[in-house]
Amino acid sequence: MISRSLRHVVLALIVFIWVVPFVALVTTSLRSETASKTSGFWKAFTPTELGHRFSTHDGDNQDAFVVMTGNIFERLNQGSESFPVTGDVKSIFFKGRVPDPDNPGETILLRKLVPPNEPMEVRDGEFVFDEFGNFTWTFPEASAPQPKNLDVFIDQDPVFGADAFVEVLFQDKNVPNALISSFIVTIPATIIPITIAAFAAYAFAWMSFPGRDWLFVIVVSLMVVPTQLAFLPVLQGFSGIASWATQLNAWLTDCELNDTCQVASKSFAGLWITHTAFGLPLAIYLLRNYIVGLPKELLQSARIDGANHLQIFTKIIVPLSVPALASFSIFQFLWVWNDLIVALYIGPNNAEDLVFPIRLQKQLGTFKDQLHLLNASAVISMIVPVIVFLSMQRYFIRGLLAGSVKGG
Amino acid sequence: MAQVELNHVMKSFGKTDVIRDVNLEINKGEFVVFVGPSGCGKSTLLRLIAGLETLSSGEIIIADRPVMDLPPSERGIAMVFQSYALYPHMTVYHNMAFSLSLQKMSKAEIKERVEAAAKILQMEHLLDRRPAALSGGQRQRVAIGRAIVRNPDVFLFDEPLSNLDAALRHETRVEIAKLHKQLGATTVYVTHDQVEAMTLADKIVVLKDGQVMQVGAPMELFNRPANEFVASFLGSPKMNFFEGKLGTIAGDTSTAAFAGEGIACDGVRLVSQNKAQGAAAKLGIRPQHLRLDPNGQLSGTITLIERLGTETVVELNNADNTVFRFASPDSPDLELGQTVSFSFDPTLAHLF
Repeated sequence: MISRSLRHVVLALIVFIWVVPFVALVTTSLRSETASKTSGFWKAFTPTELGHRFSTHDGDNQDAFVVMTGNIFERLNQGSESFPVTGDVKSIFFKGRVPDPDNPGETILLRKLVPPNEPMEVRDGEFVFDEFGNFTWTFPEASAPQPKNLDVFIDQDPVFGADAFVEVLFQDKNVPNALISSFIVTIPATIIPITIAAFAAYAFAWMSFPGRDWLFVIVVSLMVVPTQLAFLPVLQGFSGIASWATQLNAWLTDCELNDTCQVASKSFAGLWITHTAFGLPLAIYLLRNYIVGLPKELLQSARIDGANHLQIFTKIIVPLSVPALASFSIFQFLWVWNDLIVALYIGPNNAEDLVFPIRLQKQLGTFKDQLHLLNASAVISMIVPVIVFLSMQRYFIRGLLAGSVKGG
Repeated sequence: MAQVELNHVMKSFGKTDVIRDVNLEINKGEFVVFVGPSGCGKSTLLRLIAGLETLSSGEIIIADRPVMDLPPSERGIAMVFQSYALYPHMTVYHNMAFSLSLQKMSKAEIKERVEAAAKILQMEHLLDRRPAALSGGQRQRVAIGRAIVRNPDVFLFDEPLSNLDAALRHETRVEIAKLHKQLGATTVYVTHDQVEAMTLADKIVVLKDGQVMQVGAPMELFNRPANEFVASFLGSPKMNFFEGKLGTIAGDTSTAAFAGEGIACDGVRLVSQNKAQGAAAKLGIRPQHLRLDPNGQLSGTITLIERLGTETVVELNNADNTVFRFASPDSPDLELGQTVSFSFDPTLAHLF
């Protein structure tokens, strides 16, 4: 019992540790710029006392009046559509000269926080406000005073808005471009290796050819080669291909005329090939181990039924390997989607083709004072893998083999 | 005319010989059962016929065609696996139609054949289900149906009943026997269960260590076993053996006398033809063939009595401490520790 509750505590702790940054990111991205600058995300969910400055009326309004009524919140929210200020008015900061009770005829400078419903003298009129923000400003006789700026402290309700998302997505093309580039890189870099790996895994599991086991050992041992180690040769290879393609281009077309022969050595295709190459060993290993565990009788039965290797693969193995294929595609998708270093070295480096992690890294510089924008970008980049994961989840089917062989 | 012919079939895995020089003829329409203890090579032999294993040497001829170099699908066989091996992601219909659609048969013809097979097996109502939604017996039937639609020259069954419970096993066994009568197809059936072998077979092939011990009709094997192994393997409870010496051998060497463990008899069927008078021999006598007889030569002390209802099996120890059994259809009035004597008809005994 103790070990079980301990396990629950540890699990809860792990969940907490993982969820907090996510909540922080999402919360900050939904707050206003001021709010994200003045307080931490954990204060976003409870009323916070914040100071605001409002003016009693517009300066071009010169009509004389005896009593003016208005609302502090209306004045504050005038002209801005997002993050409206709501809540309870706590006090207004009063600063002005009032008659000195000790020395009649004299005045003193008073600074105090005036609570709601307590009259105070503003520009010779009596100013009263309540906690809902309604105020009345009464003068002995009709007059047209200048607008007065007052500092008000409001116990402000939590307020969220998608403004930061609108800004990063629509204000300029950087984030949309990064999203598109990331998809261009990630989708082929997931599909290509998993297709190759599935074929290879079947061959390693169920076809007999000389040197099969040794070849498999070599493939598996390739997993230990770190990507960074291979950057230089890979880059050299791609630039070699690029210069060769440039020459071919010059030879085949008349590109010399407008000087467009140059073929870029850093391209999306380079990223696909690199991610495929570095994803394959793990993919083959995982899929082979899954496929080799499928009941042998199924394959033998299919052979007796007249299926060749390709038919066994497409009609029996692939449908039954869906859970393994799905889990590896999630792995590969996440790895490629979040990859910064390979994209930095191998991927295209013109501004509109940058993938999301590089864009985020660049935003760290430009948005360092605009946390809400940075976080909105981060949330957008994060939401894609989350959607992929949730939509793939239904393929993790237990008991896919039920009913096939004995026991089931 | 032989439908299946095995000539000098050998199979070895590395240095282990699994099948040693098997020669066998299976006639058209015959129900042949391979039986033997586990590890005797019976399943390997079946898989050699199916083409799932390659021969080390020898010849396999099915319907007058040598099939050694043909893939399983072109050998004119269909196989039912012990584990059913149904395709779990396909419905029963598609399980049965799989082989036909691979042959590029028209949809209408596939439908006709699948439905015909389903009708034979009385499972038309199951066609839309997946294997997971079927019971063990139904799965077995689908596996058989999958074999039927291919209309093979030879049906191969690899211990098809061993995953079923006792009641279902009996039921399915009867069904397989009926099906064989109905279809008249040549069938090779592998089992380790002698009841299945005795009840189903037209011809039993007893295997041991990759060698054929004896081939013959069930009752022939039961009544005239060719060696000690076949004698002890078939029949329940097992045959009793008593050690002794060979006495005088009759002129045509068909019978001989025996003496040993207090038994002396003559006119016993002599199985080991190469033994000379005076050689060590074993007398084999089935528990059912012993008769309670106060004056009998064979006596022993009762150590165990099993009353099965249909039969009573008594285990005894004789003076030489040899364990032997007596089986009787009625329930004799015997007690543990009691010493009883038996006599037997020498013509029903065997000398090995």
